[in-house]
Amino acid sequence: MITPTAYRDALSQIDAPNSFAAARQAALNAFLKTGLPESRQEDWRYISLDHLERMPLHAPEDGLGILPALEDYPGALLAYLDDRLVWQDTSLPPRVLDTLENAIGDGIPAWAAESFGSLAGTASLTQLNAALWREGACLRVPAGERLRQPVFLRFAAAEADVMLYPRVFVHMAVGADAILVEHFLGDPSIEYWQNPVAEIVLEAGARLTHLRIIEDSNLATHTGLSAVHLARDSSYRALNLTLSGQVARHELNLALAEAGAEARLDGVFIAAGRSRTEQHLRIAHQAPHGKSRTHYCGLADGRGRGVFDARVEVQAHADGNDAQQTSRNLLLSPHAEIDAKPQLEIYADDVKCSHSATVGSLDENALFYLRSRGIDGEHARHLLMQAFIDEALGLLDDTGLRDWLMPRLLAGMPRVQSLEP
Amino acid sequence: MLQIHNLHVNVAGNDILNGIDLNVRPGEVHAIMGPNGSGKSTLAQVLAGRDGYEITAGSVHYLDQDLLPLTPEERARAGIFLAFQYPLEIPGVANVQLLRTALNSLRRARGEAEMDAIDFLEFVKDKLMLLGMDDSFLFRSVNEGFSGGEKKRNEILQMAVLEPQLAILDETDSGLDIDALHVVAQGVNSLRNAAHAIILVTHYQRLLNYIVPDQVHVLAGGRIVRSGGRELALELEQKGYAWLEDKASQADNAADLMEARL
Ligand SMILES: Nc1ncnc2c1ncn2[C@@H]1O[C@H](COP(=O)(O)OP(=O)(O)O)[C@@H](O)[C@H]1O
Ligand SMILES: [Mg+2]
Repeated sequence: MITPTAYRDALSQIDAPNSFAAARQAALNAFLKTGLPESRQEDWRYISLDHLERMPLHAPEDGLGILPALEDYPGALLAYLDDRLVWQDTSLPPRVLDTLENAIGDGIPAWAAESFGSLAGTASLTQLNAALWREGACLRVPAGERLRQPVFLRFAAAEADVMLYPRVFVHMAVGADAILVEHFLGDPSIEYWQNPVAEIVLEAGARLTHLRIIEDSNLATHTGLSAVHLARDSSYRALNLTLSGQVARHELNLALAEAGAEARLDGVFIAAGRSRTEQHLRIAHQAPHGKSRTHYCGLADGRGRGVFDARVEVQAHADGNDAQQTSRNLLLSPHAEIDAKPQLEIYADDVKCSHSATVGSLDENALFYLRSRGIDGEHARHLLMQAFIDEALGLLDDTGLRDWLMPRLLAGMPRVQSLEP
Repeated sequence: MLQIHNLHVNVAGNDILNGIDLNVRPGEVHAIMGPNGSGKSTLAQVLAGRDGYEITAGSVHYLDQDLLPLTPEERARAGIFLAFQYPLEIPGVANVQLLRTALNSLRRARGEAEMDAIDFLEFVKDKLMLLGMDDSFLFRSVNEGFSGGEKKRNEILQMAVLEPQLAILDETDSGLDIDALHVVAQGVNSLRNAAHAIILVTHYQRLLNYIVPDQVHVLAGGRIVRSGGRELALELEQKGYAWLEDKASQADNAADLMEARL
């Protein structure tokens, strides 16, 4: 067990106003009481965080990290390095985009009071984030406004053995419209742990398109949570990409809380080498006439292991709901493994729900077909893999981010020379 | 150009080809006919380099090199093309993407410059016109949702783009209406010249009205039981294949007899 000292030290380094200090201390105490999740817990059955106990984890020391060259971000950008805002390039006013510390530092404002800190729930890792987050980011889009450019939040790790707690709060007022991209990455030669939390509120008729990209070091651990609340007729569309990481886990909790809310959840996850990746989706249809569409594609190579675990719950009296889940998975090596567990729990009468899950391997006939046209085996496999994940990438066209994202995505795809005859 | 000598092939423990001899020279068109299950597609797939076929005896030489050790892509780059009897559907890969990637693979192998997207589009549109296909074919996923006839046309489009030296067409004519048959024949004939050779695997002699072969071979029980000129195809059409079954089993008996003597 990591000594509680590491966490207490981390907390002592944060100079929060007193009103927050008490809340942070309470959150830390709650975490210390339960500790890290264990494999006894159903949602943690496949993934172990034991290695975190053996790492000399600590809070980032200021100013040690060197800012890596920034990629081009086609939009507004806040760039964080080891939980510090180190770069910003935005023409949005601070009342729209700012650090979370600035946005709520003087006390939680009324527009956030109902959701901030409560939407994310009280799981132990969430408590830890609540105790130890530093600057964070806050996006608040005013009623009826549509942001013309995507907003990028870049969370990078540069110091070995740091634990990072990015925290994001998004408030989309009535009828607001925006594109948000969260990008997690780090120095590929170091171990670290990112444990981010994002709370997202959509008021009536608001629309958010949310891309979330895990491109962490292959030695890193990522345990992230997105919690989303949808009011009447609002729309949340997400593309969750897990491209790397030794252990990468994303949990998405979504509540279609009022009538007519819609969600589209797409995802691609890749587990290569010996990495583990998990996608946990909890979709609660709480009101009439909600609609959710889930389409995730998983690729596993080497001894990689992936888990897709999605639960749709249609609550009593939530009539006229429509929920569809699709999980398609591809195994590229005999030692790779993917467990797909789509689940439906329906307590209402008048609903339309379906789910399907497939796990297969690359189609040898299609491969031969491509090779017989002169395309080499490696290239042919890549074409088929690309085609396979393309079904989940529709939002790239809707957001105009295909050109920005595809090179990263292709770089993250497994090279399967091992299968070459 | 292609020399097949005493080729024996075993698939999943069954002897499918039992000693094929075939000699194809540049400029020639050979038709291979025969009943269902006689091994026509097996021969075609073996020539294209498909896995899972065990060559138990014999040899295949193409342009004076041993063909059998080459991978499918190496064969394609050496100028061999197989139009599949059952073309594969590849959802998510656009036709144009397959065509350009394939052509550029061949060009790279020949030391030629790759064709960029714009030049390629220009180039492929001529081919489409020749085959009476409209541009929308380019942007659909490879064969996905294509009708049987469209799939066959698409094979011929690929052939027209890749301009192979040896084209093997496996029942490209099956299931085509007369218009589509014309189109396919036109595509094949446009490729026909002194340097190119074509092997037409077909069940019916109908196609041979449009693509006149130099030689016709009849495959039965994994052997070529008869070879002849154009008139052999007409004879087959009249008599059907039934009489061949006897021939094939006679050949089997003869082989058994030989073995028994040894
Ligand atoms: N992959 C395979 N496994 C087992 N048997 C096969 C396989 N492919 C073909 N065969 C058998 O080989 C024989 C010849 O098939 P094929 O070459 O497709 O004939 P044709 O094209 O002349 O109709 C058939 O008896 C068929 O069942
Ligand atoms: Mg056949």
